[in-house]
Amino acid sequence: MEQTEVMKPETLNDLIKVLHQIFSSDTVNVEEVQNLMESYESKPEEWMEYAQFDKFRYTRNLVDEGNGKFNLMILCWGEGHGSSIHDHTDSHCFMKLLQGQLKETLFEWPDHKINGGMTKKSERVLQENQCAYIHDSIGLHRVENVSHTEPAVSLHLYSPQFDQCNTFDQRTGHRNTVKMTFWSKYGERTPFTYYCGKHIVKVALCVQ
Amino acid sequence: MDVSEVLEGEKVLNLSRLNLDNLDLDHVGEERKRDTQQLFLVYNRFIVLPGSICHFSNLVFLDISCNRLAFICEEILRLSKLKTLVAKNNRLNEFSLPKDFGTMSLEVLNFSGNRFEEFPSEFLNLQRLQSLSLGGNRLKSIPTEIEQLTSLELLYLGGNSITSIPTELANLPYLSYLVLCDNRIQSIPPQLAQMNSLLSLSLHNNLLTYLPREILSLFQLQELSLRGNPLVVRFVKDMTYDPPSLLELAGRTVKSRNLPYKPEDLPGNLIRYLDLASKCPNPKCGGVYFDSCVRHIKFVDFCGKYRLPLMHYLCSPECSSPCSSNPQSDADSEDESSVPAHRMQKVLLG
Repeated sequence: MEQTEVMKPETLNDLIKVLHQIFSSDTVNVEEVQNLMESYESKPEEWMEYAQFDKFRYTRNLVDEGNGKFNLMILCWGEGHGSSIHDHTDSHCFMKLLQGQLKETLFEWPDHKINGGMTKKSERVLQENQCAYIHDSIGLHRVENVSHTEPAVSLHLYSPQFDQCNTFDQRTGHRNTVKMTFWSKYGERTPFTYYCGKHIVKVALCVQ
Repeated sequence: MDVSEVLEGEKVLNLSRLNLDNLDLDHVGEERKRDTQQLFLVYNRFIVLPGSICHFSNLVFLDISCNRLAFICEEILRLSKLKTLVAKNNRLNEFSLPKDFGTMSLEVLNFSGNRFEEFPSEFLNLQRLQSLSLGGNRLKSIPTEIEQLTSLELLYLGGNSITSIPTELANLPYLSYLVLCDNRIQSIPPQLAQMNSLLSLSLHNNLLTYLPREILSLFQLQELSLRGNPLVVRFVKDMTYDPPSLLELAGRTVKSRNLPYKPEDLPGNLIRYLDLASKCPNPKCGGVYFDSCVRHIKFVDFCGKYRLPLMHYLCSPECSSPCSSNPQSDADSEDESSVPAHRMQKVLLG
């Protein structure tokens, strides 16, 4: 696989430009993308407009649609906010810390022959500017802001983009398909409600 | 949590990261002192909240997080317009606050990441308090006087050493966000089910083995996190059962057969005893119990997705759910408890 020679992106907009270039080809060099994202040094003034927090749960804020090749979004995690264990619908997923820290716990895919809980593979705490990568072939994960004092902000790239995934019950391995929504797009708040039969259902299932 | 909106220009004074250990305001003009509404003193070396702070007479927002604060001066009481006080990551404890702190009209208080071992009593008089965070401290309990904070909407107590929840918490009429994660809580009082205002309840990483079945009536609840609790996985029936006393048997007979009685007929203590009867939750059973009951854990599907162990009491070991579980299954079906899907949108179990 070819590795493009790129300069370190100084700004978020630089990073987005280079990502567009890289993803214009059909193959993804995971290491190249991970190194690129890691080399951008987070500057809050560049992403503050996308960092919209919710009281109760983490939010997903769309930044760029990558010409249809990827989705770039910013996730905002209040103190104690965490995700369920989930998969990534066969897409590549990159997660870079812009502010604070996030704990990532990796799990094996549930094995229904084994009775009991899902198997934890490993866990680590990602530091500011670090970039992690995951794919269904690696396993599943749960991401949490375990801090009780600091919010966390992370930059996520998904390629190809996807709007539904599976969440898993750690105790039983039982899975459930969920649709994902955005709290905001391009800095504008986008509440999402639709009618489901007779009931107005607010789809606020913000799963990563 | 995001900070309240940052105002432009003269209303905001940012003195963060300046290695300050005292607040010399000689170089700050009178007009600036009067106009400043938001003051940031984050990441300095203050050990005491400086008394000169009172010169910012119109201050609405103060953030003095990430210092070495061990004491908050009395002069803070003169900031009559102060609504938000953030003092995260300092060295404050229950002895650090001035005596009349409770008279302030504070609405938002964030003292997370300090050294509080007890809930400071001065907080309990803050009638206007809407948001309180004491996350990441050393609290062992929540005082019953918490119910005095009648304006409270958000209560963050994650990351302490709390072992139980007082029933008085349920008396807070506007509480919508309650965070109790990362504590040592073993059980949830059923009274919490009366909290119709509760939208989000965070209980992950505690010592819960079951939940009270009353939790099903929290129709407004949108978020519930339960991961990292030793929740009972398989059907469990508590077989230890103390047989009922003669008093209880007599009481049960009076109640279940609707035997009429008037206050003149019985001594006062027996009338009070009869009023304590609880109805057996098994809908097919007309029985009642007083003190003697079987603790029974049933599994209930929350919005058809996850099975949660909910505890309830039955009048006797023989009294079981109409659809008896076959021993192979790990759950009983609960006919009266199907909670519509839109009522519980996300149960973060695991």
